[in-house]
Amino acid sequence: MKVPAWLRKSRGWLLPLVLAVLLGSPVLAGADTMKVSLDNQSLYAEPNYSGTPITPVPAGAEVKVVTTSGDWYKVEYQGNTGWMHRGAFAQAQTPQLNLPGMLFGGGVKQTKSDEVALAGKGFTPEVEAGYRQKHPEMNFALVDQVESFKVDNAKLQAFIKEGGLTP
Amino acid sequence: MRRRTMGAMFLALSLTLVWGCAGMDYASVASIAVKTTVKAAEASRPISDSEEYYIGRAVAARVLGTSRLVQDPQLTLYVNEVGETVARKSPRPHTYKGYHFAVLDSSEPNAFACPGGLIFVTKGLVVMCGNEDELAAVLAHEVAHIANKDGINSISKARWTEVLTTLGTETAKQYAGAGGQLITLFEGSIDDVFKTIVVNGYSRAAEEAADAQAIKTLQKAGYDPGAMAALLAKMMAKKGAGSSGIFKTHPPTGDRLAKVKSETPAATPNKMEAVRTKRFESIKM
Ligand SMILES: [Zn+2]
Repeated sequence: MKVPAWLRKSRGWLLPLVLAVLLGSPVLAGADTMKVSLDNQSLYAEPNYSGTPITPVPAGAEVKVVTTSGDWYKVEYQGNTGWMHRGAFAQAQTPQLNLPGMLFGGGVKQTKSDEVALAGKGFTPEVEAGYRQKHPEMNFALVDQVESFKVDNAKLQAFIKEGGLTP
Repeated sequence: MRRRTMGAMFLALSLTLVWGCAGMDYASVASIAVKTTVKAAEASRPISDSEEYYIGRAVAARVLGTSRLVQDPQLTLYVNEVGETVARKSPRPHTYKGYHFAVLDSSEPNAFACPGGLIFVTKGLVVMCGNEDELAAVLAHEVAHIANKDGINSISKARWTEVLTTLGTETAKQYAGAGGQLITLFEGSIDDVFKTIVVNGYSRAAEEAADAQAIKTLQKAGYDPGAMAALLAKMMAKKGAGSSGIFKTHPPTGDRLAKVKSETPAATPNKMEAVRTKRFESIKM
């Protein structure tokens, strides 16, 4: 039996295979459920620490990961859906490299307009993840700590008033 | 958009496979399908606020790779309160993820403004400031560097052009290589910013612009605008102590001090300044 030309040509199967691996591989292959390893964690409505937490999540709790955005994981826990920082999970300390996200834009939502698609490209959380893999000596954990510090607005207003400053 | 492009690529590939179009190169089929995504807008655009944020995070991570952070909640809160107070009166009160201030555990006076709003001051610099108004002057000056994008603007134009070119040529053929290249370009951008804000220091023009802006910000916030000149004079007096730290990153010069003095408006003494100095002194260092 004669083998078809496209099977003999190695590129015929190589390129689709490479594409399938690159485009199809989820960031969390085989790790849909994750265990929270830090105490005093919470679900947040948005992927940041501002806003009132939805519900507390104790250490040891298992959450179902729906999707990821940068350092944040959208998870389901006891009927609630919200965001948790990756620092809450011991097994997520090393971010995964997501090549499609680098070029087609990372993030959670499917982009609708070209403008949004463009905004999602360039230096994205996926590029940061690649940089972090290359540079384990950089201390991103401390950066996360600095960023998580937020001055309460009421407290700030009191500070301004006490010092005779302009609100 | 994303789904449609991928669908088109897979359709083109599977058609090629089924029909065995021997004469056609697979990569060029994919490239035709992807070409529709390349937009003219991508050819030249400035660094976005979110990109600035990711650059700033990496620069900060590099600073924190070799410096320790002071883990004192009271001091951290105080520096953030003073910093937020001046940031809100600056020409750029909001950044992508806001301003955040932290104290580095070093006795050498220094300050770093990482793009996007992460600002570090050393313990040594806080000690050098004798009161809250001078600390506010330091932080207003650093906020001005972020508002003026002095760190971001040190990224080489050629490098940024290459980033845009890489994003514009996302054919399947170059696909895997482009991701790695973006990381390399990101790496280079971090180097450019780090060199300016940590190693070489800002230009004289950038320093003078940041001083002028800091004076205005101090006044708007209700702080003594004369605090900028007072702090600079202190730095000038200690200049003999070394040419590293803040003397390198934000070089104080006689010209700079003279310019600051000429730009400082006459302010009526505020009796609340004593309250501020008292709370500055109550922070244990
Ligand atoms: Zn400066």
